[in-house]
Amino acid sequence: MTSEDIKNLILEIIKDIDDEADFEGLDHDKALRDQLELDSMDFLDIVMELRKRHKLQIPEEDYPHLATLNSCVNYLQPLLKDA
Amino acid sequence: MRHPLLVIGGGLSGLAAAIRAARFIPEILLVEKHSRLGGLNSYFYRNNTLYETGLHAITNYADPGDRQAPINRLLRQLKLQRKDFTFCQQMQSEVVFRHLESLTFSNDVGVFNTEVRNKFPRAAVRFQKMLDFIKHFDPFLPSPFRSTRCFLAEILQAPLLAEMILCPLMFYGSSRENDIDLSQFVIMFRAIFLEGMFRPLGSIKDLIDLLTCHYLELGGHVRKNCGVKKILTRKNSAIGVELDDGEILECDYILSTIGHEETLRLISGTRVSNSTNLTRLGFVETMYQLPQQSPTTLPKNKTIIFFNDGEKFLYENPLDFVDFRSGVICFPGSFQGIPQKSMMEIRSTHLANYGKWKHLSTTPDQYSDKKQDTARHSAQMLENMIGSFATNIVYENTFTPVTIERYTVKINGAIYGSPEKIKDGNIGYPNLFLAGTDQGFLGIIGSMLSGVSIVNQHILPKL
Repeated sequence: MTSEDIKNLILEIIKDIDDEADFEGLDHDKALRDQLELDSMDFLDIVMELRKRHKLQIPEEDYPHLATLNSCVNYLQPLLKDA
Repeated sequence: MRHPLLVIGGGLSGLAAAIRAARFIPEILLVEKHSRLGGLNSYFYRNNTLYETGLHAITNYADPGDRQAPINRLLRQLKLQRKDFTFCQQMQSEVVFRHLESLTFSNDVGVFNTEVRNKFPRAAVRFQKMLDFIKHFDPFLPSPFRSTRCFLAEILQAPLLAEMILCPLMFYGSSRENDIDLSQFVIMFRAIFLEGMFRPLGSIKDLIDLLTCHYLELGGHVRKNCGVKKILTRKNSAIGVELDDGEILECDYILSTIGHEETLRLISGTRVSNSTNLTRLGFVETMYQLPQQSPTTLPKNKTIIFFNDGEKFLYENPLDFVDFRSGVICFPGSFQGIPQKSMMEIRSTHLANYGKWKHLSTTPDQYSDKKQDTARHSAQMLENMIGSFATNIVYENTFTPVTIERYTVKINGAIYGSPEKIKDGNIGYPNLFLAGTDQGFLGIIGSMLSGVSIVNQHILPKL
């Protein structure tokens, strides 16, 4: 997956959690949670959807790597290189 | 087949937990001892009519746009669409301390504020201070028991107002005699006075059916009439359950929603320590049905009335079978947008002494007489407040703590469970957790969030 694919994947999952999520002006280096009003319960959905869709097991201590869109790319790209 | 997660108890917390897990993990199994799902909030049929067992009102009303409100968080977590539900808000409700004072409240918090300002003018500023405290307090941080009575006495310095605030909160969610933990108080205050009350347009059966369908569509499994005899353990881990008929089910995780002590009793070799001497609280409730058109002076715009005789509100195990001096009156048809039916219902709830009812239930005739007697006495009490209706009653049904014990296996039929809550759901096993009543979030929204949050916290990240 390219970095663009990974960003789209994350945004698609968020859209699925909240169909009114507004991505306009989203800063790729700022926390998704703060910008999109996601709480910790919503955030777990991202982790679980990644697991369901791509069989990714993300350990709890790695959750902080999914904080921003760009950190998602950095963390997920090696894991999804063949996807 | 081995199940990744087995949920014990098909009440609303168990259903919510099972749905949450089934969204991401296949082969989740929910087992329920009774022939119907819903737990305390279920239904039964008499005379070809469906009656709800427990539902007065659902607390935690919020508009669809309020993303962080408990009800909307819950729907998101379960992947249910708010537009699939029609929520009918309460008309207005009241706390009545007879011959002393009354406070009206509704889902518009301004109504309650105005009432307090007008009726307790000297406490108005202090009441605002209390609201500020409640707004900024985080009730979900782990903390030891803190007495709400002491807190209110200090912050309000208006004993009657404090009692009147406590009365509905205790009746709708306190498992403890005469006091309530401050965190629980804040949760309940928000749920009832700041958010408010509603009910779905349909019956509780419609809600349970909708949740069950959703769960099955996600690939979850349900087994009803399926009691768990034992939880099987090896080296302090749960490995599965043995059912009443001897069948063994293996699983990786167990979530029990049947109560703390009730769960420990299923684990052989576990000594159930009576760490607490705190009494479990029982209730009696009578549902009266009467024709809608009967000439009536009954209030038309009241949803719930919480009442008490006297200045001091005693929320404790009564010495007699029932304490008629306080209680709850509910008009289940009095919600905005509920079409008028030919029959109307009135429900009355009072504190009740489990031991007395249990003892009497060994002589069925006397038990049944006592239930009728209770229904009569309660109706008289209600008529003092809402006007006469008893002569028009065409059907009535009373439940006692013994009824609850029989249908839900809750110890002493205590609907709010143990006075001691296990807020993190951890009962000493790495793969067996507790949700529901004894985890501590009460009410329909609370119990469902309990199921969801324990699955989120302990099970989903590890499965």
